[in-house]
Amino acid sequence: MRLLYGELLKIRTAPRTSLGLVLGLFLLVGLGSGATAYDADSTPFGRELALADVIGVLSIAPVFTLILGILVVTWEYRHGTITQTFLAIPRRERVIGAKDAVSFLAGAALTAAALVLALIVASFWISLDFERGHWELAGRMVFAAALWGVLGAGLGALVQSQVGAIVTSFVWFLVAEPLLGATIDALTDTRIPDYFPGNVLDRLQNTSSAVEVGSGAITTGPDYAFGLWAAAFVAIAYAALFAVLGLVSALKRDVP
Amino acid sequence: MIEVDRLTKRYGKTVAVDDLSFRVTPRRITGFLGPNGAGKTTTLKAVLGLVHPTSGTTTVLGKPYRELDDPLRRVGAVLETSRYHPGRSGRNHLRVVAAQAGIPNARVEEVLKLVAMQEPAKRRVGGYSMGMRQRLGIATALLGEPELLVLDEPANGLDPAGIRWLRDLLRSLASQGRTVLISSHVLAEVEQIADEVVIIHRGRFVAQSTTHDLAERAAGAVRVRSPDPARLREVLATNGMRIAESDEGTLTVSEGTAARVGELAAANGIVLHELMTERATLEEAFLELTAGETTE
Repeated sequence: MRLLYGELLKIRTAPRTSLGLVLGLFLLVGLGSGATAYDADSTPFGRELALADVIGVLSIAPVFTLILGILVVTWEYRHGTITQTFLAIPRRERVIGAKDAVSFLAGAALTAAALVLALIVASFWISLDFERGHWELAGRMVFAAALWGVLGAGLGALVQSQVGAIVTSFVWFLVAEPLLGATIDALTDTRIPDYFPGNVLDRLQNTSSAVEVGSGAITTGPDYAFGLWAAAFVAIAYAALFAVLGLVSALKRDVP
Repeated sequence: MIEVDRLTKRYGKTVAVDDLSFRVTPRRITGFLGPNGAGKTTTLKAVLGLVHPTSGTTTVLGKPYRELDDPLRRVGAVLETSRYHPGRSGRNHLRVVAAQAGIPNARVEEVLKLVAMQEPAKRRVGGYSMGMRQRLGIATALLGEPELLVLDEPANGLDPAGIRWLRDLLRSLASQGRTVLISSHVLAEVEQIADEVVIIHRGRFVAQSTTHDLAERAAGAVRVRSPDPARLREVLATNGMRIAESDEGTLTVSEGTAARVGELAAANGIVLHELMTERATLEEAFLELTAGETTE
């Protein structure tokens, strides 16, 4: 428990960076939610779907939780405080474990707070009639973002360089994965690209399956290779993989 | 307290520490000396479990550091590379460390008082001077009231008043029965407070002895002045001493002690005006010990 408390204290006492992340996400979510709700009447399936779209604005949250996770680990390396941390807790697996856990919890809390903000903003234009699908969608959003926090912490522990980890993740999600996916799609007819982390995240955050509107279930939207549970499983596997890689890296390498 | 046994650490082809063994005994201040780049920091990091030895072992209080329970309550360390998050205040830095080690916040205020940092503690560490950072480092090391302190170049960046403060602090800590290992490349820093010194050079063990013995070992000639230098010279020479130089009645005698010179003079009724051992400083002993290595 004291490890988790220590890690939370680290986030809280480095106010500028933490605050920057929180405000950045809140600003984007606030604007996105407002714009979506304001424009609700143009949504073909009406306001129920508009609410799903408002919740869908949170699909940007993993970008922030990923960075949060990366920071939770790499700012210790960047500022050299990792030395003090490992002196206090020489069993490094505990340190990295606590950082993974805090990245998950803080990622979930940050996303949940952003969700509340999105709903408050949206409530000016649409009514918040939550159905089961909406709750599930919200849960998926928070869960996915929290997992991406762990992914970030793992990546951070693996790479150790703050800039390196952030650049790596952005290059992967924005350039490498789409490019690789397109290439594989063009050359083969496998569904391998669906299993790439970005696509798995996309599946997990998909809004179109969230709500049953009117007469029938909406099953339109992207065609995915697997269902939500499988997507959740694959996403957990990615987070776990990077957590393990990060742990091995932290255990093996000397403290600079 | 600390045992380093055949420690070797290689970084690629560079050998930072080479088959190094020594022990630090309890309730004493031990100086850990060597020129810059001798491998002191690497050795201390290996002792503190931060660096994996290529071969050899290190133990602290009988165990590898990583196996200590609550290490901050037993070992306090300030490393040369100890750095801080610049956006955190000094007080918050200590609170974070205290939280990790399960130490109550009240202790944070105590150590701040001990290092006279209560005032700057609320400011961001980014704006601290080198001396304030060192004080904060020492405060961090003292948080858990450890029985063993490992300080890597703690005097770096301290002004003369700060160095004096540090010396007094270490003396008072040692007088409480704590063990201190303090590394330095400047002998003068350690000479006055260390009971014992371990000297390394190029990653290798050079010498370990009490500070007193080391100075003694370097104690050179006996200087003696007499109104009758010619006769004194003869007496000393016949007793196997070498007269290194003489001028205006002053002889510099090697291979003899001041006591022996005095006895011989008395036995032969020779008047002496001055008799003293020319004490080499530790600096000279140190240079002498490490010089052989550098010419390899």
